[in-house]
Amino acid sequence: MSKIKKKRVGFVLDMTPLVDITFLLLTFFMFTAKFKNEADNQQKFVIKRPQTQADTAKLPEKDLVTIKIGIDTVSKDTAYYLSMLNEQDVASLADAMQRINFPGANPESVVYKISDSLWLGKIIERARIVNPKARFALDADRRVKYRYIEVAINEMRKKRATTFNFVTEKKTGGL
Amino acid sequence: MAGGGSLGSGEKQRRGKEGKRKKKHRVGFRLDMTPLVDITFLLLTFFMLTTSMITPQTMELSVPPDLDVPIEVKQSELLTIRVRFDGKLFFNMGTDEPSKVTLEELKKLVVAQNVALKNKCIVVLKSSGEAPYGAVVQILDKLNSAEQSIIRGLKDAGINERNRKFTVAPFEKKDAEDIGGL
Repeated sequence: MSKIKKKRVGFVLDMTPLVDITFLLLTFFMFTAKFKNEADNQQKFVIKRPQTQADTAKLPEKDLVTIKIGIDTVSKDTAYYLSMLNEQDVASLADAMQRINFPGANPESVVYKISDSLWLGKIIERARIVNPKARFALDADRRVKYRYIEVAINEMRKKRATTFNFVTEKKTGGL
Repeated sequence: MAGGGSLGSGEKQRRGKEGKRKKKHRVGFRLDMTPLVDITFLLLTFFMLTTSMITPQTMELSVPPDLDVPIEVKQSELLTIRVRFDGKLFFNMGTDEPSKVTLEELKKLVVAQNVALKNKCIVVLKSSGEAPYGAVVQILDKLNSAEQSIIRGLKDAGINERNRKFTVAPFEKKDAEDIGGL
């Protein structure tokens, strides 16, 4: 009883360490965040990737040509969607596609929707010319019929793109 | 962080009023950080929730460039895996009758055959155009994961080198007929 209880009026807490850590985390998440690019925004389908075990490699972050094979959620038809990753490649490809009169090609084109193998072959050829170093990635839905994959592989093979990647997803749980 | 905002300049401007206002001594300067913390936490939560840490993986596959020259292989060294339109698997050695297998059995079979044939086994994958792509990738994944067991098996048999012979072949009408009724 000898100590007089201090009245807690205008209680102040030192928030500096809290702010420090919060800013640290904030910067971390800000730098690691990856935003959807233009190609993803125009996508009208969801890709359920095939699941594999964890022994596979990571997707390259540049010099990449992605061929998505998806089933449209509305019309249920399968089509190829080709896009390039590097910004200068996107512009060069748009230019090249206009020159060969690809239907709907304009200087702002990012994704090219293709439904037949003839155009697929042509666009793969252009993509190869635009960036010969670029690797091909096949990002297909696991429900897609193998026929479509075979066509894409054959077209790539004809254009001498003999090494390519299948985009997969790590199997969660189980085996 | 909480440094005094104006140290020198402020005094000069207020020289005229110096007589009226008493200069506040800036010791233990405190800044209300609550709004700052609010906004920071808001941003932090936003970034934490929008970041997806799982990046897609890839499976690499190399195919030979279009060659017009057919390569002759011994039938006895050929292990054919066929995928039917419904995703079911059939396997046969050489000219044997195809039989139905599951994914798990397939791995054991491929390992056993590769070790038995001492590195000479050629695995051919033929998939029906109607089979789902996911099923085909699962087989490729199984074959990839079988490699380790094969290498171990070959080492036990005294072979230290592993030449992988794997190919994807087109699915023909004959293949469909062979496995259609099973």
